[in-house]
Amino acid sequence: MGEVIVITSGKGGVGKTTTTANIGAGLSQLGKKVVVIDTDLGLRNLDVVMGLENLIVYNLVDVIEGTCRLKQALIRDKRYENLYLLPSAQTKDKSAISPGQMKKLTTELKEEFDYILLDCPAGIEQGFQNAIAGADRAIIVTTPEVSAIRDADRIIGLLEKGGLKRSELLINRIRMDMVRKGDMMSVEDVTEILAIPLVGVIPDDEHVVIGTNQGEPVIGIDSKAGKAYVNICKRITGEEIPFMDLNSDSGLFTKLSGLFHKG
Amino acid sequence: MLKKSSVSVAKNRLKALVTSDRVHCMPDSYDNICRELFETLSKYMGIAEDNFNVEIERTHILISFSGEEA
Repeated sequence: MGEVIVITSGKGGVGKTTTTANIGAGLSQLGKKVVVIDTDLGLRNLDVVMGLENLIVYNLVDVIEGTCRLKQALIRDKRYENLYLLPSAQTKDKSAISPGQMKKLTTELKEEFDYILLDCPAGIEQGFQNAIAGADRAIIVTTPEVSAIRDADRIIGLLEKGGLKRSELLINRIRMDMVRKGDMMSVEDVTEILAIPLVGVIPDDEHVVIGTNQGEPVIGIDSKAGKAYVNICKRITGEEIPFMDLNSDSGLFTKLSGLFHKG
Repeated sequence: MLKKSSVSVAKNRLKALVTSDRVHCMPDSYDNICRELFETLSKYMGIAEDNFNVEIERTHILISFSGEEA
């Protein structure tokens, strides 16, 4: 029996879609059967981040409305075995599906997949309500910024009210050089305020942008962010993985910049 | 350095925002809440203001204190 994980944030642009794509790839690399679902109706993006935009025939709304069978709408990933995408509809809006229909769909998918990842739209309206309806657990993505953390706190409150038992935090795009200078909130600063368990920290890494340009997850690229995502995936499956020390780095650039920002 | 680190500014703003979101009050209400809670409780209990602390969490308001020193 699979597990449904919603990836949510409240604020837009903090990295939900990139996170969904990478966790999906990472879990499938660990031998799990995974489906990622883009629940952002009208603003389809997950297919693009995964490089599967040219393979779409049917979408989430087609499945829900019964235009096609579930199997027909699932797109198999090009690189990762056991990874499937259920794309969103670009021409429909949030009201095209209901929380009850989403719950029914995820229940059906649990029979066949180990993990069902839901890429949640920004905001707290119906799209969010749809995405959380069938979720067993949540990963809340935030960046170390006041507005993103504030929205994450509201989302956590709404999830608690909705009865979701398990919410974990993913801090995205942290810059240790700025943290050291006192110009960016640290992991501790963020977790102190949000007070939920941490599932991982992704450093700000240009490889993520490069991966997104190419429609390729960063998890397959030798990079800090890629390694951090691999660790997160292992933690999701229940392995105990120590948190990476983002300060120590063997990269020449970081070593050099470290010399200039001592203390 | 005279300049306050931007992180401490961010944390203070964030704490005020998060508190007001959690209990739907104005961002600057926290100080008043603390003061009035202390005034109310001190009518019935021997508590000192220095050891009185109020924390507003998502689903709880935690009031912690240590009793009057002997």
